[in-house]
Amino acid sequence: MVKRKLGALEKVEADLPNLQQKIRRDPKSYIEDFRAQHYQYESHREIFMAAPSSTTETGLISLRELIDFIAHVAHCYPDITKEFPQQLMDILSQHHLILQPELREKIVGSLVLLRKKEILDSATLLQTLFPILVSTPSKTLRALVFQKILMDLRTSNAKATNHKLNRTMQTVLFNLVTSDRTSSKGLWAIKLTRELWKRQIWSDAKAVDVMKEASLAQNEKVIVGGVRFFLGGDKEREEMEDESSDEEAIDMGQVRHQAGINKKTRSNARAVAKARAAVKKKERKKNQPHPLNFSALHLLHDPQGYAESLFSKHLQNTKSKLNLDQKLMVLQLITRLVGLHKLHIMHLYSYFQKYLTPRQPSVTSFLASLAQASHDLVPPDDLEPLVQKIANEFVSEASAAEVASAGLNAIREICARQPLAMNETLLQDLVMYRKSKDKGVMMAGRGLLSLFRDVAPEMLKRRDRGKDASIGLQKGDKKEKRFAEQSAGGIEGLELLEKWKEEERRKKRAELGLPSDAEDDEEEDEEADWAAWNVDDDEDSDGSGDWVNVQSDVEIDFSDSEDEKDGPPSKKAKSAESKKDDAPAEKEEESAEAKFSKLATTRILTPADLAKLQELREEAAINALVPGARGRNAAANVTRHRDDPLTAEEIEGLAALSAGKQTREERIAHAREGKTEQHKSVTAKRKERKEDQGKSTTNKEKARKKNFLMTLGKAKSKNKRSLVQTRAVLKAHQDRAKRGGRRGNVGM
Amino acid sequence: MGSSAKKKKEKQKDFQKPKLRVGKAKAKPENFTDTSFKSKGITLTQQSLTLTAPTTNTQFTSHLSHVTSKSDAQRRDSLAHLTSYLQSKPSTTPLPTPVSTLLPTLSPLILDASSSVRTNLLKLLRALPAGDVADHVVQLMPYVRAGMTHLAPDIRITAVDVLSWLLGIAGEEVVGCAGGWIKTLNCFLSVLGWHTEESAKWSANRAAFGKAGAKGKPMVRVVGVLGEFLGAGIGEGSGGGGGDGDVGMMDGEGDGAAVGFPVVQTEVHMVAKAAQPYVYLNLFGSPRDEEGEMYETREERWRVFQGRFLAPVERGLESARQEGGEVGRASMTVSKVMKEAVEYGRGVGFEA
Repeated sequence: MVKRKLGALEKVEADLPNLQQKIRRDPKSYIEDFRAQHYQYESHREIFMAAPSSTTETGLISLRELIDFIAHVAHCYPDITKEFPQQLMDILSQHHLILQPELREKIVGSLVLLRKKEILDSATLLQTLFPILVSTPSKTLRALVFQKILMDLRTSNAKATNHKLNRTMQTVLFNLVTSDRTSSKGLWAIKLTRELWKRQIWSDAKAVDVMKEASLAQNEKVIVGGVRFFLGGDKEREEMEDESSDEEAIDMGQVRHQAGINKKTRSNARAVAKARAAVKKKERKKNQPHPLNFSALHLLHDPQGYAESLFSKHLQNTKSKLNLDQKLMVLQLITRLVGLHKLHIMHLYSYFQKYLTPRQPSVTSFLASLAQASHDLVPPDDLEPLVQKIANEFVSEASAAEVASAGLNAIREICARQPLAMNETLLQDLVMYRKSKDKGVMMAGRGLLSLFRDVAPEMLKRRDRGKDASIGLQKGDKKEKRFAEQSAGGIEGLELLEKWKEEERRKKRAELGLPSDAEDDEEEDEEADWAAWNVDDDEDSDGSGDWVNVQSDVEIDFSDSEDEKDGPPSKKAKSAESKKDDAPAEKEEESAEAKFSKLATTRILTPADLAKLQELREEAAINALVPGARGRNAAANVTRHRDDPLTAEEIEGLAALSAGKQTREERIAHAREGKTEQHKSVTAKRKERKEDQGKSTTNKEKARKKNFLMTLGKAKSKNKRSLVQTRAVLKAHQDRAKRGGRRGNVGM
Repeated sequence: MGSSAKKKKEKQKDFQKPKLRVGKAKAKPENFTDTSFKSKGITLTQQSLTLTAPTTNTQFTSHLSHVTSKSDAQRRDSLAHLTSYLQSKPSTTPLPTPVSTLLPTLSPLILDASSSVRTNLLKLLRALPAGDVADHVVQLMPYVRAGMTHLAPDIRITAVDVLSWLLGIAGEEVVGCAGGWIKTLNCFLSVLGWHTEESAKWSANRAAFGKAGAKGKPMVRVVGVLGEFLGAGIGEGSGGGGGDGDVGMMDGEGDGAAVGFPVVQTEVHMVAKAAQPYVYLNLFGSPRDEEGEMYETREERWRVFQGRFLAPVERGLESARQEGGEVGRASMTVSKVMKEAVEYGRGVGFEA
């Protein structure tokens, strides 16, 4: 009898992946097979539930494979697999402690898969996974579950923010942190929140609230986690954003060109499609409005209360278990809050009193914190004794140069924020240190001097004031600032814009051949400005087209009327312009402040103007970083943002310069630091290696190195040889070669 | 000829004696192999050197432990040994290990990949004392059901065989245990492909049974066992009517008549004969759903069967009858049971 040919499926006894593939293609025809496998799963589950901890692998197919199989095709048979997700969740939540690791991971994976297939909703999944994350002792499971939770939160927030889910999750985290303040479980809340904050998925006050509660916990790890978030979370977020925007650009033209040339394969086509998608996504991202992100410190409710409770709980409390580093971190947070929100905490400044000695470990951090905590609403009476103490303890001829420069820097930073904390005699004393021999101290002294030339020159001795300050004093526009006096605010970088405009106008007039200083009719200028209104977006034009109808009634003057038609501008506009005309003529000599306030108040800044302003601001920031023109200290003060923390490094300042003489090795290492390794040829490297190993040189090398004078005689005599002699030498050489060298190969 | 000299030198090098130096370790030869190893512990396998042969009991337990061995042959041989031991042993002596510990190790083998293991398992099961097995049907049934729906056709047939054996020795327990009625019937329908109308029509669903060339034999077997199963559950002889397999609460009249008048209800107050008389209360297990429930009386079982399975089974039987041949003949026996059951159903009051 002829043997029947076996089909591929019949040979393989239990081939679930194959069945899975078939079911995906045609679910209807394979329903019976699926049903059978579902019963199979049910029976296996029954067996498993009878003894969850037993590790017997039952035959060909294990429960794990069945779960995997059903999870993959569950979407094809929703009515048969109705209870499947719930069963998985039950198994996981009841038995996760005793389950085999593989099975456990498979169940978690299957649940996530079901979530992807939208059989399960996010909230249920998170409700199942989160308790496990918090309670399981297994590290691998925790890592897996954490990753899955994070991924789920990200995907459900990918297209649009899922407010409902976020709110429930945040509430869960909040409760986790607040329910048991002594346990370290709050760490999970911190990890999750920080990660989501970094990715800008959560950027609201509720997330900040979770962290706030965490930093007020009783467990050290949780406290530190919360505090770290406030100190570094925003920076991390910015870095993440930069990173994601830095992805290398794909040259679409090149990709298309290559696809045209190369062999047309499916994978190539896919690569092109992928590149296209990436470019499109990037473009879309570029057009998106910049997300409005407040830093965590700004989103706090009641910063005063928060700072106070932090202070009393962790720093003033004698029972607090934090070590010095952790305390410093808390102190940094408190002082940043104080500086940023201009808070006042009663005992904060007296708290510093005992830490301000040069022997205190990491005293520079304390100094930085103190400087951070001072702002112009702090009563000078609070700060003055501290400044005095720093001056006494740190700054003296007897103290080390590093110490003195740190003290001076700290005093400068404090006084930059609250100049009233300084008195005249002390200042004049300290300023003398600019004559110090040590470079660090000298620079610090100069910094202090230039600061006071700027803020309160009358406190300095007459000869220390410098030219600008003296002139200013004489004219009387440098007035001493009183306590809590506020200056009127302007738009940052507006003077740059004005200067730029002035230059542009001058250039234009130079082209036209007019005297560059004369006043031209502003109207023309204005017109140009309005024309530039829609420089970068054309979509707006039809929007403003609608507005044209309105303009005749309400007399709001708008660009289009002036650009295209020669229609008379409305009365109001005209009067405004005429005012503008005479304004600059009168107030030519007015101070700069008045000038830029004028620009902002008399003109409407067009989007083009704002874009230019932004550009100029960035340019200025970059220029400030370049050493030269202005003093470095001034530049540092300009570039500092209010949100940026003051660090211990800044207090230490140039202390490195006064660190005493370096050893030779240190100097060499310092000189080498930036340099890349010199190129060496392969032979040179080999030679070096040979020498290192102490091996000998070849005869050739020896000959090459031989003293010239020693070779001279032989070379001379070679010239004088007769033919016979030459022959004899050659012959001898040949013989020698045959023999195998001078000593010969006699033994063989 | 510098190069030849060099070559000669190299050749010579092989025969040079390595220099020995005082205070230095001897140079290792070029072909030296490092045979040292690290280990937390070293086990020396010991051979037993006793003259006395191991007792049958120790042999039995050792073979029992080999039942879960990795190698097919080992499992098969151990099973064969156990079987021969059980068969040769006088029926009065007790087993070296009780059935309750035997079954948990044996039952996973129903799903074993090797067919020889499964045939040997079946032999062993048949050799087990019937009375002891009856108490452990509940543990065995999930494996049987898993086997019945297995992807591999051979395993399905084995599972059906095991079920047939179980029905033979403890039919009442099989149909009355938790999940024993509905779940098992579901499995039957799925094995036969009778679940839905269209699936019953296509012969393709059944073609996958057994190895190629088995020619519908497995189908005959499955239908036959289905007949046995229905017979045990809702057939004439099934103990549903009076509930004699029950705890003894309901059958006061039936058996009590045999006893004298004053002690009419003796049975009620006696200690129950069954091993687990109060299982049906499900005091300690997880709550059961409809499928996992126990259906202890014929009446209950009939009610469930009529509601869920009557139509598909009748449809399947019809098509099997039309198919004729052995399958048709086998279907006739099932039809007979069905007829009885329907009759009974009329009597009880559930109209078909």
